[in-house]
Amino acid sequence: MEGTELIAFNIIATVGTARSNYIGAIDAAAEGNFEEAEKLIKEGQDAYVEGHDAHAKLLTQTAQGNAVTMDLLLTHAEDQLMSAEAFGILAERFVTLYKKVYNK
Amino acid sequence: MAKKIVLFCAGGFSTSLLVNKMKEAAAAKGKEYEIAAYAVTQFDEVGLNADAILIGPQVRYVVAKLKTEHPELKISDIPMKMYGTMDGKGALELAEKLIGEE
Repeated sequence: MEGTELIAFNIIATVGTARSNYIGAIDAAAEGNFEEAEKLIKEGQDAYVEGHDAHAKLLTQTAQGNAVTMDLLLTHAEDQLMSAEAFGILAERFVTLYKKVYNK
Repeated sequence: MAKKIVLFCAGGFSTSLLVNKMKEAAAAKGKEYEIAAYAVTQFDEVGLNADAILIGPQVRYVVAKLKTEHPELKISDIPMKMYGTMDGKGALELAEKLIGEE
């Protein structure tokens, strides 16, 4: 498997994990389990950073004049990245909201 | 009949590449499996008669629910590193463990 393809899969796996964690955090908060929710958000952020770094390397490579071939796989990886970012922002707000619901 | 291994992710797209890697790994071991990838929304159509079910990290949040709803099914999530490196050999071994074949 070529370099860019492998980076794309690394991004999909890491930010995909982050997204799953963020959704899990919302589910945990809905059950009133805030310790678990915050743990999941933290783990999600760690995984997200890993994927974000991999993506940043591609940006650096492009800036250095070595253009990255844009294909559907990389588009998919960026799509997952954006979705994870949005879920991260929302998950934190949902946890805050559920804390109010549960008077925590 | 060949055992059926089914993988699920958000759209079944990126996971289908892992399926190819798993097929290569199976061929290298001289084993024959029916391996396919689908979107997790198709679970009820294609997941219920599978011998092993692997869930991609993008949709790992469904694993707990699926295990509760279908205690009879053999379900595992695919670890992030395994998925990110497209480790077909590792994923095949994971599925074989679920099936009980090593």
